[in-house]
Amino acid sequence: MMKQSMQAATRREQKVVTRDRLVNAAMALFARKGIVNTTTADVARSIRMSHGVVFLHFPRRDDLVIAVIDEFGRRLHAEFRHAFDNDLGLRAVLHAHLRVLAEFEPFYARLVTEAPMLPAKVRSTLMMLHAAVSYELFMALERERKAGRARKFPRPLLFNTWIGLVHHYLVNRDVFATGNSVIAEQGETLVNHFMSLVKP
Amino acid sequence: MAEKCPACGSCGMPMEKPEDFALGDVTRPYCRYCTDARGELLPYEQVLETNAGFYVESQGVTRAAAIEMARAMLADKPAWRGRH
Repeated sequence: MMKQSMQAATRREQKVVTRDRLVNAAMALFARKGIVNTTTADVARSIRMSHGVVFLHFPRRDDLVIAVIDEFGRRLHAEFRHAFDNDLGLRAVLHAHLRVLAEFEPFYARLVTEAPMLPAKVRSTLMMLHAAVSYELFMALERERKAGRARKFPRPLLFNTWIGLVHHYLVNRDVFATGNSVIAEQGETLVNHFMSLVKP
Repeated sequence: MAEKCPACGSCGMPMEKPEDFALGDVTRPYCRYCTDARGELLPYEQVLETNAGFYVESQGVTRAAAIEMARAMLADKPAWRGRH
């Protein structure tokens, strides 16, 4: 009995490991080749797995793309939770956002570049993540405003101003950065500029 | 990989803290936004409206686009799977 339950636990662990390998491999390929141009067969081949294993974990290609976006979302959620719980202010929320973007930068840049071409379900998932970022920015701004350090901003425009700025640099990262990360090189400038816009 | 928390079976929202769950009960499958005061799952149209509202309030997208995105988001969630 004990042997059987240990075997079941090992199988579960292996399943998680395989799933994580697939998600990591997909993220790397999406970043390199683009999301639209990457097939599930490419992902399987890149880590020498059979194509069938991909379908076992992700019955549709969109599920794999969303699994990668969810990974990004979980990191973002953890960073925002930390900033919120410690009442760190708008600047810290912007930095938290940029930290996660830098971590996922090659994939995320592809994602926002290709967003209008992606299936509705994938695009909707990304836009729901944007909704979460918008909420965090707005709540942080409201706290700053109550302390007299920021002016009033309509929530959609607050978010769209920030994300429009960041996405422009990300989509054109090849001309805004000399190295691998436009966020690392330009992030502080973007934060300073945005903070100057919200000043009372 | 980041640690995973349960997601709402209706809208997919990550449920990390007890207050994220219906009635603050971590054994419930749905979030507080998708349920009524008794913890029961709200009708589909109401959940759709709530989710569409998130898109409109957060980014100012049109109502028609928000409804389409919310529909796409909900389509394969356990509570609504096979609905279409």
